[in-house]
Amino acid sequence: MSLGTLTCVALGELERAVMAQLWSADGPLTVRDVHDRLERELAYTTVMTVLGRLAKKGLVRQERDGKAYRYAAASSREQMAAEVMIDALGDVGEDRTAALVAFVDRVGPEEADALRRALDTPPQGMPRSPES
Amino acid sequence: MASVWLTGLALVLAGPVPALLARARWPRAVPRAAIVLWQAVAAAAVLAAVGSALAAPEALLRVLTHPRERTGFPLLIAVGVAAVLAGLIVVRLFGVLVLLAVRTRMRRARHRDMVDLLARAEQNDAVGSLRAGTVLRVLDGAVPFAYCVPGRVGREGRVVVTGATLDTLGPDELSAVIAHEQAHLDARHDLVREGFTALHKAFPVVARSREARDAVALLLEMLADDAGRRRHGDDAMAGALDAFASRGGEGTEHDDVLLRRDRIRAHVQGGRALSVGIYLAAVALVVVPTITIVIPWLTDALQGLRPL
Repeated sequence: MSLGTLTCVALGELERAVMAQLWSADGPLTVRDVHDRLERELAYTTVMTVLGRLAKKGLVRQERDGKAYRYAAASSREQMAAEVMIDALGDVGEDRTAALVAFVDRVGPEEADALRRALDTPPQGMPRSPES
Repeated sequence: MASVWLTGLALVLAGPVPALLARARWPRAVPRAAIVLWQAVAAAAVLAAVGSALAAPEALLRVLTHPRERTGFPLLIAVGVAAVLAGLIVVRLFGVLVLLAVRTRMRRARHRDMVDLLARAEQNDAVGSLRAGTVLRVLDGAVPFAYCVPGRVGREGRVVVTGATLDTLGPDELSAVIAHEQAHLDARHDLVREGFTALHKAFPVVARSREARDAVALLLEMLADDAGRRRHGDDAMAGALDAFASRGGEGTEHDDVLLRRDRIRAHVQGGRALSVGIYLAAVALVVVPTITIVIPWLTDALQGLRPL
């Protein structure tokens, strides 16, 4: 299956599946690793293209390891969820601190804890959102 | 004389008028017309400010000099100062607008990417009441929460809800919420809001631009509420807002949700006459100063430029 025949929806689904593998992995993975873990009838180049797309979007980190590239999620799932929530609330005003306060105020203790944990984890070269 | 009028108009439209309009209750009955009025006030204020910047140096020259001296170098300086003053306002506003537009679109692109990755795929089609060109995304979350992210031109916008929204809201309420978000996306409410955000960023202190931005944001929510009410009824929309309000929290946003719920429960609805009156006022706000002040001044000023 080539990328050309993939519809947008299928591509989104594939990106989600690839990202799930990176999130559940202990460390950076090669294209081959991701391809094997996916356990699907996919061309190696398709997986490579999807990883390339995710890297271009800044969601995946690409690092050179000898001859091959290794890929890792730029941020954990929790960090990404927190960023999405803060951004969604921040759209109301423009002040990120205010958005954070509003977030904690709004979501209650459970999510606030998750957010705190996410913020405590050092972001490994996590690209900042353009607004910051 | 024109410069005095224009300066006065700019000050009134930047200060007392927005302050009064933000505090008034009647706009809630006619959100669409009220938003148009806000836009007219903003446009007229900016035009008046630019006009007064253009007219002031020439007026000063008139006061200080004899008509015979009003040629050559002094006139050139007056024209130059006018151009710089007016240019400052225009460049500042458009610079901020462009920067905001670029940043907002970059942020949204990233937000859409992240939402797509985080979404629970198996629940995406749980509610099939979206129009083509919009995608529903369900995120994990213990608190009812819904919003939309406009897509790029020709691309899909996203309506995002938390899992708790699906669990807490009844089917009608959920449909009303989605119709509300869809209305935001269809009518490009984000562009209206962006204009007022830019105005506030460009002139944060001088004018009542914060009040304007917040009042318009609330009116846009009410406008979208009305779309939800039309399609799924008052009870569904008010019930959904009840659920959103019950997640607690304090501050103006929480108050705004309550305000919107009470507005629906009270069946606040403005008459046609009120709407028409507001639309006429909005048009007059932009047109009347142009005809009565700007055109006579321009004619006058152009005549003054002719060599005596």
